[in-house]
Amino acid sequence: MADVAPTALLQARQLTKQFPGVRALRGVSLTLHRGEVLAVIGETGAGKSTLMKILAGVQSPDSGEILVGGKPVRLPSVRAAQRLGIALIHQELNLADNLDIGANLFLGREPGRGGWIDHASIRAGAREQLDRVGLKESPDTLVGTLPIGRQQLVEIAKALSSQARILIMDEPTSSLSRHETDTLFHVVRDLRSQGLGVIYISHRLGEVKALADRVVVLRDGENAGEMDRAAIVPEAMVRLMVGRDLSQFYVRQPQQPGDVVLEVDRLRTPAHPGRELSFQVRAGEVVALAGLVGAGRTELLQTLFGITPALGGQVRVRGRVQRLRNASDAIGAGMALAPEDRKQHGLVLPMSVRENASLPSLRRDQRRGLLNRAAEELVARRTVDQLGVKTPGLDQAVQNLSGGNQQKIVLGKWLALDPHLLLLDEPTRGIDVGAKREIYRLMDGLAARGVAVLFASSEMEEVLGMADRVLVMHEGRLAGELPRARLTEEALMQLATGGASDSGFTA
Amino acid sequence: MKKNILGIMALFAVVFLFTALKNDSFLNAYNLQNLIKWSCLYGLIGLGVSFVIITGGIDLSIGSVIGLVASLLALLLSKGRDPSTCIALVLALSAGIGLMHGLLITKVKLQPFVVTLCGLLFYRGIARYITDNQSMGFSGHDTLDSIFSGKVAVSSQFALPAPFFYLVVVAVVAALFLNRTVWGRYLFALGNNETAARYSGIDTDSLKILAYVACSLLTGLAGVLFAFELNSVQPASTGEFYELYTIAAAVLGGCSLRGGEGSVLGVIIAAAVIRLLYNSINMLGISTHLEYAIIGAVILAGVTVDELVKRYAAARRTRQQAE
Amino acid sequence: MKSFLVSASLAASLLLLSSCNPSGDDPKTGGAKKPKIAYVTNGVDPFWDLCAGGVRHAEKALGIECEVHMPNKGLVDQQRILETLLAKGISGIAVSPIDADNQTAFLNDAAKQTKLITQDADAPKSARLCYIGTDNYKAGRALGKLVKEALPGGGEVMIFVGRLEQLNARQRRQGVIDELLDRPSQSATDVKFDPVAGAIKGERFTVLDTRTDDFDKARAKSNAEDAMTKHENLACMVGLFAYNPPACLDAVKEAGKTGKIKICGFDEQDAALAGIKEGTVHGTISQQPWKYGYESVRVLKQILDGDKQAVPENRFLEIPFLVVTKANIDEFWAEKRRMEALGKQP
Repeated sequence: MADVAPTALLQARQLTKQFPGVRALRGVSLTLHRGEVLAVIGETGAGKSTLMKILAGVQSPDSGEILVGGKPVRLPSVRAAQRLGIALIHQELNLADNLDIGANLFLGREPGRGGWIDHASIRAGAREQLDRVGLKESPDTLVGTLPIGRQQLVEIAKALSSQARILIMDEPTSSLSRHETDTLFHVVRDLRSQGLGVIYISHRLGEVKALADRVVVLRDGENAGEMDRAAIVPEAMVRLMVGRDLSQFYVRQPQQPGDVVLEVDRLRTPAHPGRELSFQVRAGEVVALAGLVGAGRTELLQTLFGITPALGGQVRVRGRVQRLRNASDAIGAGMALAPEDRKQHGLVLPMSVRENASLPSLRRDQRRGLLNRAAEELVARRTVDQLGVKTPGLDQAVQNLSGGNQQKIVLGKWLALDPHLLLLDEPTRGIDVGAKREIYRLMDGLAARGVAVLFASSEMEEVLGMADRVLVMHEGRLAGELPRARLTEEALMQLATGGASDSGFTA
Repeated sequence: MKKNILGIMALFAVVFLFTALKNDSFLNAYNLQNLIKWSCLYGLIGLGVSFVIITGGIDLSIGSVIGLVASLLALLLSKGRDPSTCIALVLALSAGIGLMHGLLITKVKLQPFVVTLCGLLFYRGIARYITDNQSMGFSGHDTLDSIFSGKVAVSSQFALPAPFFYLVVVAVVAALFLNRTVWGRYLFALGNNETAARYSGIDTDSLKILAYVACSLLTGLAGVLFAFELNSVQPASTGEFYELYTIAAAVLGGCSLRGGEGSVLGVIIAAAVIRLLYNSINMLGISTHLEYAIIGAVILAGVTVDELVKRYAAARRTRQQAE
Repeated sequence: MKSFLVSASLAASLLLLSSCNPSGDDPKTGGAKKPKIAYVTNGVDPFWDLCAGGVRHAEKALGIECEVHMPNKGLVDQQRILETLLAKGISGIAVSPIDADNQTAFLNDAAKQTKLITQDADAPKSARLCYIGTDNYKAGRALGKLVKEALPGGGEVMIFVGRLEQLNARQRRQGVIDELLDRPSQSATDVKFDPVAGAIKGERFTVLDTRTDDFDKARAKSNAEDAMTKHENLACMVGLFAYNPPACLDAVKEAGKTGKIKICGFDEQDAALAGIKEGTVHGTISQQPWKYGYESVRVLKQILDGDKQAVPENRFLEIPFLVVTKANIDEFWAEKRRMEALGKQP
C-alpha cells in the first residue's frame, strides 16, 4: 500500500467493523487517486458493501483511519461525507419517484429563500448536471417515468450537483440493459477524465476488466490482493476472490439421473403470461436456471412453489398432477423452496434458530395440535449439526447470525421435511466463501440421495461448476437447454441474451 | 419476553405497595375484590386484542362491539326471549363480526385500521338504532346476574367475582394456544414476517381470521359481563374508548404494534396496572382531573423503560459476541 | 379534502333531516299559511326524547306543528340543521346551542330571519328573544336539602359527576355544597366555585371529594366502590348526572350497605326511580325535561300570535324542577312513561 501518494484523493487504513455474529471488515486498506477508476471486487459477503458504507458515512468503523486529500477525517454521517465530496450511489436507487428530476437533484438543499423554492435556478442547475451525464430529458420529467438506467444517471447527476469529487458506485449495472451499461461506462470514463475518483464495486468481472484502472480484491473482510491495469484478467481475479482454484471449489459428481420428479408442461406464470414453459427435472439431477436479471427465473420458482399460482399449464410431481395454489400445496407435493430474499421470505428474523428451523415441520410433528418440543429440538439440532451452523445456541435469534448461517437454516428447515424436489433461488447470494462451499456440498449430497435440485443463479461460475444441465431463460421463455457436456460460458451467454454475445455476464 | 413481564410486574408491585402504605383501607377485602373484578373485565378484552396485535393488526371496534352486544342483549331480554339463547346469539354475533373483519382484511386486503375504524362507527350506530338510543336495564334476571356478575366466597371475608373465573379460563386457553400449539407458533411467525410464514406453507389468512374472531368473541363475552356488572346499558356510551385502554394494556403488557410479540400474563398484569392506577388515584384522593395525565405518564414510562432495557440487552449481546 | 368534508357533512345532514322528519315536506301538513316551528337539541340522548314528549304534548294541546331535530355529530351538524330550517322559512326555532359563545354571530343572523329562543343552554350575548332553562344552582341547593333530609344528623358526603367542565355540573355541585354548609344563596349568574380537590368541611356535613368518570358508567361504578373503600364513614352519595345515582345504587347494593349509605341525585333514570320506590334511593331532582319541550312550543306560539306578555322582562323563563321522593314517585313515574312514549313517536 503506497503511503501518502501526492494524488491520493481518498485513503482508508486498517478499517475494522464488527456486526453481531459477523466480522465484516478486518483491517482493510485502500487508496483512490485522482482521475482513477478503482474497482473493488470480492464474493458477496467479502465486505465490499460495508467498506463502501463506511466511506460514505452510512456506518462508522470500529477502528481504522480515513484520509481525504491527505487529511484524516471523521465521517459520522452521510452529510459529513457529502461535505467532503464523497457521494455513494446505492445498489437500490435513492430517488423519489414522485418528484421530477430537478427536485430530486436538489432534494434537501433547494435554492431559494424563506421557504420559497427558486424553480428557475433549479432548472438551470439541473440542466447543467444532466448534460454532464449525457441525459437529454427535461428537468421537469418525473423520475418514476424514466427507465432504470436513466434513473441511475440522474442519481449520478445528483452526486455531481453536490460537488462530489469521489463517486462510490455499488453494483451500478445490476439492473441495467446492455445499452444502458454502455452509456454508464461512457459517463464514468468522462468523469474520470474530469479528474474525479471513482470506486466501482461489481462482481461482473467483464465490466471490471473493461473499466477499471486498478482492482482491489477483498476476501472474508480482508485485503486479498491488488492488480494494476495490465494484470487484470478474470482468472486471476477469481483466484484472489475465492482463495483457491475453482476446480476444488465446486463439488459436483454427476450421477445417472433417476425417474422424472418434476414435469412442467406448458406452464404460464403471471409474470410472463404470454410464455409457455415445459421441462423436466429428474431424481438425482442438479439443474440450473440461468438467465439475465428479469428473465423470469425467480417468478418460475415462485409459481412452482404456489406463491404466485400459475395461469395455465400443468405441473406433475413424481407422476401426479398437482394443484399448486399456495406454498402448503407445494410442500404437500414434496417440494421445498429456499427463496432469493432470505430475510424477507425465508426467515422470521426475530425468532430463534429453533423456531425457524422447525417452522415447516411443526405441523407434521404435532401431537393433537400441541407443539412437539422434542421433535422440534431434534429438527433444530440436526440442522445445526449437519449443516455446520455457527450459532451460540438454538435460542439465538437468527437475525444475529451471518448470511451464510442464515441460509443454512433456510435449507435446514426444508431438509427436515425430506423433499423430493428442492428449489433454490440464488442459494449462495450474500454469503461467505466457506458457507458457499458447504452449500454446494449439500446440493451434491442431496442429489446423490435422489433429490431433484433445481436452482436459479446469476453467478456464472456457480452454474458452470454445479449444474448437470442448464435451462437458460430469456425474457420469460426457455431459450434453450445445455447438458454438462456442451456447457460453456459462451454458449450460455448466447442463449441468455437471446443470441447476441455478451461479455458482461456475471463471473 | 421474560423481561417484559418482569418490568410490568415491578410496575404493578410498586404502585400496589405505594398505595397500600399510604392508605389502610386499600388492602381490605372489598377493595381487592373490586380491583380483581375490574382488572379481569378489562383483561379479557386485552387478551382479545392481543391476538390481533400479535398478527400485526389492530382492532379499534372493541368499545362499539361491547356497546352493541350489551344493547342487543338488553333488548332481547326485555322482549322476554330465552336467556341462554340470547347469550348464545350475542356471542355468535360477536364471532361473526370478527369473521367479517378477518375476511375483509385477508381476502379483500383492506387495512385493519380502516376496517375496524368503520366498525367502530357502524356498531355504535346500530346499537343506538335498535334501542332508539334509550338506556336499557337488566333487572329480573337473577340467574344470569349470578352467572355473570356473582361472587364465589372463598372464605368468610373474601369472595372472588365472576369475571375472575372467566378470565382464568380464557387466559389458560390463550396461553396454551400461543405457547404450546402449532397455530400459536404460526401466529407469532406470521406477525413477525407474514411473507416468510407463507413461504413456509402456513395458511396465514386463516390464522389472521382466527385472531380477529377470537378478539371479537372475547370482546362479546366482556360485553355480556359488563352489561350484567353495570345492570344497564347506554347504547351511545357503553364501552366507548375501551379499545384505547385495551390497546394500551396490550402494549404495556409486551405486545408490539409491529406484530409478532405478546404475552398472556403480561397483558393481564398490564390491564390490572391500569385499573390499579384508577383505584390508587381514588384511594390517595388525587384530584380527579389528574387521572388521565397520571395514567398516560405511567404507560409511557412503562414502554420507555421496556424499550431501553431491550436496547441495553441487545447492546450487551453484541459486545459479548465481539469479545 | 376540505370540500370532501363539507359535502360529506352536507350529505349526512340531509340524510339526517330526511330520516328525522319524514313528513317534513309533506304537502298536506306543510302548508305555507300555517306557521311551523322547530325544536333543535344539542345531541342525541334519552333526555331529549323526554323533551320531545313535551313537544308532542304541546303540539296537540296548542294546535301548532313543531319539527324535532337532534344533531348527532356536534356543532357543525347543528349549524347545518339550523341553516336548512332557515332556508325552508321556518317561523320559529327553539335551540340548545352547543357552543353559545362561538355561535353568537350565527344565532344573531338566525334571529333576524325567524323567532329564535334558546332552551336548556343559553346564548346570553345573542339576540335570542328569551331563554328557557333551569337554575342549576338552585336545583343543586334543592338536592342539598334532600341530603339534609336523608341525613338529619349530618355526615360525610361524596359527589359523583361525569365531567366538571360543563357549567351546569359546576353549578349543581356548588349548590349542593353551599346548602350543606349552610352558606347564603348565590346569584345564579355569578356563582363562585369551590376548588375540586380536597375535602370541604362544614359544621354538620363534610363534602369529601368530587370524582369524575367521563360518562363511562363502569368508571362511575368503580368510583363509587372506591369511595366506600376509602371512606368508612361515608354516609351519602350524590350523583349529579342521570346515570350516577343508578351507578351508586349498584355499588352500594353489592357492598351490602343498602340503607347505611344514602343516595341522592339528579334526573330520572328508571333505575333511580325504582330505587326511590323500594327505598334504596332517597330522592332525585328532576328538571322535568318534557317541560322544556312544552314551554318552548308554548312560548314560540305566543310570540307568533303576537302576545306581548309571552316573554318576561329579564328574558329568562325558569322551568321549575321537581323534588321526587317516595311521596310522589308513582305519579311522577307515570308522567315520565307517558312523555317517553310520546317522545318516541315520529
